[in-house]
Amino acid sequence: MGAAAVALLLAAAVAPAADPEAGRRKAQVCAACHGPDGNATIPGTPSLAGQPVFFTHWQLIKYRDGRRKDPQMSPLAEKLDDADMADLAAFYAAQPARGRPAATDAARVAAGRQLAEQHHCTSCHRPGLTGQQQAARLAGQDFDYLLRLLRGFKAKTASDLDGTMTVATQPLQDDEIVSLVHFLASLGTETGR
Amino acid sequence: MRPVIGTLLAVTLALVLAPPASAQAPPPWKQGQPADLANSTLAPIAQPPGPAAASEIPVDKIKVPRGFKVSLWAHGINNARAMVWGDNGTLFVSSRVAGNVYAVVDRNGRREVKVIAKGLNLPNGVAFKDGTLYVAEVSRITKMPGIEAKLDSPPAPEVVYDILPRDLPHGWKYLAFGPDGKLYFNIGAPCNICVPPDTHANISRVNPDGTGFEYVAHGVRNSVGFDWHPVTKELYFATHGRDWLGDDAPSDRLDVAAKKGLHFGFPYCHQGDIPDPDFAQGRSCGEFAPPLLKTGPHVAGNGVQFYTGSMFPPEYRNRIFLAQRGSWNRTEKVGFRVMMVTLRPRDVPKYEVFAEGWLQGDQIWGRPVYTQQMKDGSLLIADDYAGAIYRVAYQP
Repeated sequence: MGAAAVALLLAAAVAPAADPEAGRRKAQVCAACHGPDGNATIPGTPSLAGQPVFFTHWQLIKYRDGRRKDPQMSPLAEKLDDADMADLAAFYAAQPARGRPAATDAARVAAGRQLAEQHHCTSCHRPGLTGQQQAARLAGQDFDYLLRLLRGFKAKTASDLDGTMTVATQPLQDDEIVSLVHFLASLGTETGR
Repeated sequence: MRPVIGTLLAVTLALVLAPPASAQAPPPWKQGQPADLANSTLAPIAQPPGPAAASEIPVDKIKVPRGFKVSLWAHGINNARAMVWGDNGTLFVSSRVAGNVYAVVDRNGRREVKVIAKGLNLPNGVAFKDGTLYVAEVSRITKMPGIEAKLDSPPAPEVVYDILPRDLPHGWKYLAFGPDGKLYFNIGAPCNICVPPDTHANISRVNPDGTGFEYVAHGVRNSVGFDWHPVTKELYFATHGRDWLGDDAPSDRLDVAAKKGLHFGFPYCHQGDIPDPDFAQGRSCGEFAPPLLKTGPHVAGNGVQFYTGSMFPPEYRNRIFLAQRGSWNRTEKVGFRVMMVTLRPRDVPKYEVFAEGWLQGDQIWGRPVYTQQMKDGSLLIADDYAGAIYRVAYQP
């Protein structure tokens, strides 16, 4: 798979000290929610498979520093050191993303596709919304999670690394957010399986 | 060695954000990009999430003039940026996206790094006076009195001034005490190129108790490094030029503000002689203070520091060290070095490389961002990409 190959390259190029196999062992505690290979199945829980190395690593730093808060993630991240985070990020980046089953509406998907272009989502998240560097992979991500997160950015309550997403979501109406999520969630079934 | 991230894949971390005025605003770093460059692959270089291990930092690649020697002084400082000394020899180090402030303590030649504040909003500015550390985030300045005695149980920061703009684009601040005892900082333009509100694109100052706010210099797109001449006490500052005017324009600049209230041209005029193609609005470059020195396009001059030590040869005294974090909006990378500027009466300054080597071909392994002089006259250089601090000593 192209995306997986790119993810592997990134993992290798970006963090030479990171050990994906060590990451696989360390990820055992994550598996109950995020799946053994980072493809989660619990609605509302994001998949980590195929996420760029920088993205996962930065999110873990934010949880550890209290900039992103979650009752389950925060206490887990507090126990991680820098090497743990690098290993976990490298492991998940190397796992193929399978996409999440979602009942998407064709008209909404079409509208969301247009919105993604108009709002320049692909400038950072790449054509295909597969993510890069610190910008998350969105293609095939969990429907409920995407919806919660985008609404959080719009409400200025979701943790943002540098403000980009908070700014980007301000012009969006809630109806447009819903359409975007339909589109993003639909990509998994188109490209991942 | 930390391998490098291709510009092709690099994105938004270093970026500026456009104000959410337009319903379809591009991501901030793309703002001002002309239609004919719409498919450009240039984008800001991503900030690595963690510091490089000591074994990955090729210090021997840093080239300095004959007689000087570079060593790795401290590492493991994620996103290490500006540095300031405490009275008792603690080096305080800021960061930007890492959100941390660090204290580096020398214990018998080994450097111990402590995080004394975390989760802050782009805390790029650190200043120190009378036992108190001051920290500048995007919209506020805070202080930590008596911090050097409490490095292992740092107190919560106390607010000094918190009514600064909340805009994130160019919202991070350099912070320093001027010779007048006031705290100086930048309020950057909230965009790549725009007519900024009157409250933005300036260097400002406030008393250390938060009173007496005033603007010092206007028309400054974003200056995240300045210092005062040791003799004349004039303010010298570096400014990053706008993006998307091409590989070779405009030049970044080094300026001197001989008095308060001067206007340095943004957004109407760049580098003293290029009217902005869209925002000149009939203004002429002659209306504005010209740069003291054109430092080169896209070099991203950050730290500005006059050398006042006695370790380096006598000609180094009162020279400016200018740390250049390096370009993203240029086909061939430039910067990623520490320059030195020698001021000359009635002549343009002499402008030479002091330290380089973070850029190898088109690959970077580090980004020098600020300098700080040590008590013995050697020079520290912070690298926010590798998360390291180097020491340059003169050892002929």
